[in-house]
Amino acid sequence: MKVGVKDLWAGGILIFLALLGLFINGGLLGIGLESHALGTARRMGPGYMPMLVFWLQLGLGCLVVFNAFSNGPDPLERWTKLDLTTLAISVSSGVILWRVMEAIGLNNNYIQVGAPCFVAMAVLAISPAWRPLGLVLASFAIFGLLLEPLGLILALVGLCVVSALADRDHNPVSVIGMTVSLCIICWFVFIYELDIRVPLWPTIF
Amino acid sequence: MELLSNLAHGFSVAMSMDNLIFALLGALIGTAIGVLPGIGPVATISLLLPVTFGQPATTAIIMLAGIYYGAQYGGSTTAILLNLPGEVSSVVTALDGYKMARRGRAGAALTIAACGSFFAGSVATLLVAWSGPALTSVALSFGPADYFSLMLLGLIISAVLAQGSVLKSIAMVVLGVALGLVGTDVQTGQQRFTFGVPELSDGLGFVSIAMGIFGIGEIILNLERPEARSVMSGKVGSLWLTREEFRRSVPSVLRGTVVGSVLGILPGGGAALSAFGSYMMERKLSKYGHEFGNGAIEGVAGPESANNAAAQTSFIPLLTLGIPANAVMALMVGALIIQGIQPGPRMVEAQPDLFWGLICSMWIGNLMLLVINLPLIGMWVKLLAVPYKYLYPAILVFCAIGVYSLNNSVFDVYQTLFFGILGYIFSKLRMEAAPLLIGFVLGPMMEEHLRRAMLLSRGDPTIFVERPISATLIVLCAITLLAMLLPGLRKGKDKALAE
Repeated sequence: MKVGVKDLWAGGILIFLALLGLFINGGLLGIGLESHALGTARRMGPGYMPMLVFWLQLGLGCLVVFNAFSNGPDPLERWTKLDLTTLAISVSSGVILWRVMEAIGLNNNYIQVGAPCFVAMAVLAISPAWRPLGLVLASFAIFGLLLEPLGLILALVGLCVVSALADRDHNPVSVIGMTVSLCIICWFVFIYELDIRVPLWPTIF
Repeated sequence: MELLSNLAHGFSVAMSMDNLIFALLGALIGTAIGVLPGIGPVATISLLLPVTFGQPATTAIIMLAGIYYGAQYGGSTTAILLNLPGEVSSVVTALDGYKMARRGRAGAALTIAACGSFFAGSVATLLVAWSGPALTSVALSFGPADYFSLMLLGLIISAVLAQGSVLKSIAMVVLGVALGLVGTDVQTGQQRFTFGVPELSDGLGFVSIAMGIFGIGEIILNLERPEARSVMSGKVGSLWLTREEFRRSVPSVLRGTVVGSVLGILPGGGAALSAFGSYMMERKLSKYGHEFGNGAIEGVAGPESANNAAAQTSFIPLLTLGIPANAVMALMVGALIIQGIQPGPRMVEAQPDLFWGLICSMWIGNLMLLVINLPLIGMWVKLLAVPYKYLYPAILVFCAIGVYSLNNSVFDVYQTLFFGILGYIFSKLRMEAAPLLIGFVLGPMMEEHLRRAMLLSRGDPTIFVERPISATLIVLCAITLLAMLLPGLRKGKDKALAE
């Protein structure tokens, strides 16, 4: 079979998003949330344009899938068992943490988004193939988590240290040197010159 | 004469101390990121967008423009010296430029690249100045239906000219339009697709999308395939051209300027496409076509002139019609809107400082770049010694603080993270992200015009073919789409982009 797997996935994503959009927007063949009024062609309601756009996207997605059967072979990179397991654990740990935080009411200031993101990405980094993806995104999430309670400097330290793990060439000395210099540069550019409103040091104590 | 007085006004704006400094700053940053592979103008401009909010609109746009054309100069340096194109637009320069460097003529190649770029940039800047007001007066007679058709044409051409499958690019445009739907509906005030999140009522963050997809997504991909850096081959040599080299490159520079100016205006065109176009043309037209690939100076002179000409003329659709021609211009629209300026035909009249100041600063910036690049070439090459392991955390840090400072909200940080994942998936599945960004910017404007047009026509969609301007544009859309169905043309495009 000469199937273009990449196109198959691409088309699948497009179709999924289009169906989801149609479902939320005005209902799909009678089922759905119908959250936006369609209006008429003369007086378009808020749901009219989304309807046009998502139907178009649905059609294009189907065409992409249809094309995929003739333009291959175009396989995705091989996923090992470790890749699949870490992906599964990562997603489920993120979802569980989200649920737990919901239950105990830890949901102010998007901490409920950031913490599961960080945990899921950190888990993902266990598998070598996902490591750059997992660590770069985890470093971003830890920045978001630390910034407001602990201040800019500590958030930067977190970001630098976690993201540095993604590159094997780093050693402790280079990480410390880089972190210190980036902190100084950022203090100068963002606090001293641009004066953005963000705490520099921890505020929760 | 009006042009002259306008240009004089423009120079008085561009020569102010602040604007000169920021043009220089933009040119320097542009050259630096042009030299460095792995970070392009799209990522850099989205990175610096939040930093420019404090400045007046003119100064901000002058600096961002400087980054874009500065990157065209810088990209050629590493392409010639190291066979390592810093930008997509200088990929073809590496073909012959690096061979020239191996022969010891690196200096000559760098000189013709810089001088050709400067000449092309000057001509293209004049073209922007001359065509801007003319096109604007045409654009003012456009009704909502005409605007809708024009944007449709822009989206279709930008998808057709993008790299990779046309079908997928069109789908990405539509996906971009769909992402643009999130937020408050302008006419009824209803929340659409916001899921009750208050931060989403202004729509998805433009900077977050651009930074996530082009900044963070790129970093992850770069880390996944660590490249061995090649070492510089030999010395730069004399910067002077021989008489023979000069004679051979003049016609190429002229042709490259024309090709670049034309392709730059086209939506989806821009620097990369025109460099490819010019290289193909030189190989066909030049008397020395057989030397191509072995260090023909035409192969450097043509594409380098073309990419810089295109970098200037791609401002024409933005400044006159408010329609971005490529992803960088989409970012400029974002920058203008954040500054409270609605890009469109009224901009020339309403914002003369911005329009003429920008044009004049482009010329000044090109002059600066000539000076920055040629004598200081050694300094830029040293920049390559900065390992990527220090570069990417720095980019991440700037991204993170930058998005946070937009609204002082952590929500934007997580939004960027989400689009980073999306950008990673897109590039793994070879879904082009640039058309998505253009669709995202144009989507809300298109909806606005569609609704107005349909209201005027009392719900009759034939308005789009009844008005002559709109009808012409719709026919052009159809021709473009049909042309892509022809197998011959499609193969030609694939071949041109593959080389």
